[in-house]
Amino acid sequence: MNDLAANAAPVLIELDDTDQAIIDLLREDGRMPYRAIARQLEITEATVRARVRRLEESNTMRVVAVTDIEAAGFGMLLAIGVQVENRSPEAVARELADIPEVFSVNVVVGTHDVEILVVAEDQDALDELIGGKLAGTPGVRRLTPALALDVLKNQPDWVPFHDPA
Amino acid sequence: MTRRRLDEVDKSIVAHLSRDARVSNGQIAGELGVTEGTVRARIKRMEEEKLIRITAVTNIDRFRDAALAYIWIEVERSDQTRGVAGALEEIDELGFVGVMLGRSDILAITMVRNTEHLAEFIHQRISVIPGVRRTESTLGVNFVKHDYRMARIVS
Repeated sequence: MNDLAANAAPVLIELDDTDQAIIDLLREDGRMPYRAIARQLEITEATVRARVRRLEESNTMRVVAVTDIEAAGFGMLLAIGVQVENRSPEAVARELADIPEVFSVNVVVGTHDVEILVVAEDQDALDELIGGKLAGTPGVRRLTPALALDVLKNQPDWVPFHDPA
Repeated sequence: MTRRRLDEVDKSIVAHLSRDARVSNGQIAGELGVTEGTVRARIKRMEEEKLIRITAVTNIDRFRDAALAYIWIEVERSDQTRGVAGALEEIDELGFVGVMLGRSDILAITMVRNTEHLAEFIHQRISVIPGVRRTESTLGVNFVKHDYRMARIVS
């Protein structure tokens, strides 16, 4: 449960086929005009507008721009396993989530306690991120990184709506 | 591999779109003090060059029984890595596929309902790919953060 969802006290709405069809079209093209969506689904533009508003207000869907990490200036992507000691993995995970370069955080069960995905501009920035910020986070015992040589696919459709203050 | 980086005007436009991409070009133009035509042309160019993708994201909190699974895949022979990764790319349920240096050969990430579902998915969809030697999976118990404003845009 993320903070925004908690604050907004989201009402879990039931998604019907029309909602799902609208979401599918907006996944393909987030700026598709309401009129074009209406035409394609054979419903009125007012219905599309109302449905989209309901999906957004219930914190179910957002239409956003996703920036390519390389275009944003980050040349490296890593998956890092984090072993935790003397602190709860949840607490460590929340602290790691506040670091901007750490773009995905999961508390897991297995060899590691937390799995994170991070980006770095270059090798120096990576050294500072791993050796400084990550290793320096209280509770972090060991970091086991793997560097992505080639990302073939990266389309996270379902994500937590985490909004750091 | 090297892509053009966003300039300051691009970044300002993207900052607006990252909050709510349904905002009109006219509104962005007004706030940035540029013409609507500039905003429209910039967005079109960034999309064409795959620097940004404008898309709907949905909230995982709506699904109480969904967990993220990290699947690490080791191949039989190193020259099979690209082939296996290519086969994984075709699997719709996988949200991330990367060839990795360290830990294992390939990382694939998907959403599953529970451990049984994960075992079934690996058995039926991953292990059957020629060249897959073994897999090691980690199941998420709490998806704390995913900054959806950032991704590797490949298609």
